[in-house]
Amino acid sequence: MEVIKSVRLNYTYGGGVEALKDVSIVVGEGKVVAILGPNGAGKTTLLKCLLNILKPKGAVYIYGRDISKLGGRELAKLLGYVPQTYGTVFAYRVLDFVVMGRAPHHSIFSLPSEGEYRRALEVLDMLGIKDLAWRTIAEVSGGQLQLVMIARALIQDAKVLLLDEPTAHLDISNRLRVMRVIKDLVRRGIVDSVVVAMHDPLIAGLFSDEVVLMSRGEVVAYGEPKEVLTPGNLRRVYGIEFVVINYFGKPLVVPKELIEE
Amino acid sequence: MRGSLLIKALITFSLPTAVITSLFLGRYPIPPTQVLEALVAGLAPSLTHSPPDPIVRIVLYYRLPRVLAAAIIGTSLSVSGASLQSMLRNPLVSPYILGIMSGAAFGAALTIAFLPPTVPIELVAMASALAAFALVLMISWGWGRGSVVSLVLSGVIINALFSAALSLAQYLAPNPHKVAAIAFWLMGDVGQASEWGDVLRMVSVVAPCTALLVASRWRLNILSLGDEEAKALGANPVIERVFYAVICGLMTASVVSYAGIIGWVGLLVPHIVRLGVGSDSREVILYTTFLGGAYLVAADDLARCLTTEVLPIGVLTTLMGAPLLIYLLRRAGRVWR
Repeated sequence: MEVIKSVRLNYTYGGGVEALKDVSIVVGEGKVVAILGPNGAGKTTLLKCLLNILKPKGAVYIYGRDISKLGGRELAKLLGYVPQTYGTVFAYRVLDFVVMGRAPHHSIFSLPSEGEYRRALEVLDMLGIKDLAWRTIAEVSGGQLQLVMIARALIQDAKVLLLDEPTAHLDISNRLRVMRVIKDLVRRGIVDSVVVAMHDPLIAGLFSDEVVLMSRGEVVAYGEPKEVLTPGNLRRVYGIEFVVINYFGKPLVVPKELIEE
Repeated sequence: MRGSLLIKALITFSLPTAVITSLFLGRYPIPPTQVLEALVAGLAPSLTHSPPDPIVRIVLYYRLPRVLAAAIIGTSLSVSGASLQSMLRNPLVSPYILGIMSGAAFGAALTIAFLPPTVPIELVAMASALAAFALVLMISWGWGRGSVVSLVLSGVIINALFSAALSLAQYLAPNPHKVAAIAFWLMGDVGQASEWGDVLRMVSVVAPCTALLVASRWRLNILSLGDEEAKALGANPVIERVFYAVICGLMTASVVSYAGIIGWVGLLVPHIVRLGVGSDSREVILYTTFLGGAYLVAADDLARCLTTEVLPIGVLTTLMGAPLLIYLLRRAGRVWR
């Protein structure tokens, strides 16, 4: 089933920078889709267009429904967004911060219930960070923060998660932990699909079911990792040489200059 | 958790305690029993023999409305300050950021300096404050689509503009007495808002606005996450921000035009509350309503009773507030980051 479909998205920022050019992708059910590309490729712009935060030319459908015709709350019940880092200046308690994910289920005058706080604790528990619940978000590490924001998106009861470079500032073990959590959510059917913008072709190749390789606002290649992550495609996008090793059917992508003196 | 419960109880009871205690305080010494009798006489005249008339008048027509006025003003400034800090995502914001302070100040100065004494100062101050606020909203909406930065920046611009106009009004004022009168108005005085009529007019704006913000207190959290996150959580951040800004503007203008510029309450009280109960607006807005009122009632008690003269309350709130905030922030340490 098509979970998300974008049809010829074009987006131009105020300054005249064309951030997206004719981007058409389809995200299937049960898939982890990586949006891969260098800085400025349009990954974040694409995510924001899929979330209706930016209004592009073209159309985005979620479960076959045009997102521009969905209300904000309806859309938020379908799509959960995990930004790179949080935008608030207040040191909220982790538990309170996670409960804010329930906003789409509330009117502007209602308060979250005891049950919703309990659920937030359960979600934190499921992600293995229950002990952080009473700390403030200013007191947790980068890796923990990503998990906290994933918890907030999960409690939204969204069917699809969109994550913006969740591993960008993390060490290698936390990167793997976050990616494992993401894969696990899809495998266990907690969410239907995940779209994740990322920088690292190695992790994208190993963890995702499909890769959208982008450069300068355009989709260069799109499909299974081993078909997309070829030395030729990667050279086109990143401008450097890569070695791609077939590791039990998965592409191990390594920059050539790292392994050749 | 237990410590925080105690703090919440203390803050909650601070307001009734301050209001009741203050009725017994004043430069004219009245025995506590007579204060109570006067109150009963006012509420249910049949129950008691009235104490001497001047005492009833002092308690019912001087102290009671003045204490209530202080509570209303303090609550109004603090709650709008806390709400604005949340939704503008800026802990340094006070209710005066929206141009209301200098708007009201200019209106008052204009009336004192040039208009006949029959024109009520608060009326012109209110009109001018709302005009300044409307300009802020229009500029922000027209140029910045209601974004946080455009709202704060147009507030700064309009504040500057009206401050200049205020200076001009002071400079052109026909005589030094009027200049002095303007200066006194600017220092703030709860006494100017202490007729029963003033109290009722203020409460008719402040009560519904406060109720609305308290009801929306969890929503203000969502707005504090920033527009993109708020949108992704199904909110309409621009519309909601402008709506709450209008509420905050109305309740600030309604008290400032009576009492003059009372600084620091709207900045300080939300911070004290945050240090006590944490950052969640769900708690902050609620407890700010109590502590804001209590803080200004206490400050006004000092203004009334500290010396034989009535001290300007705007000066007192700042003199009390600045060291208090430094002390609290020093203790909290991490808030500085």
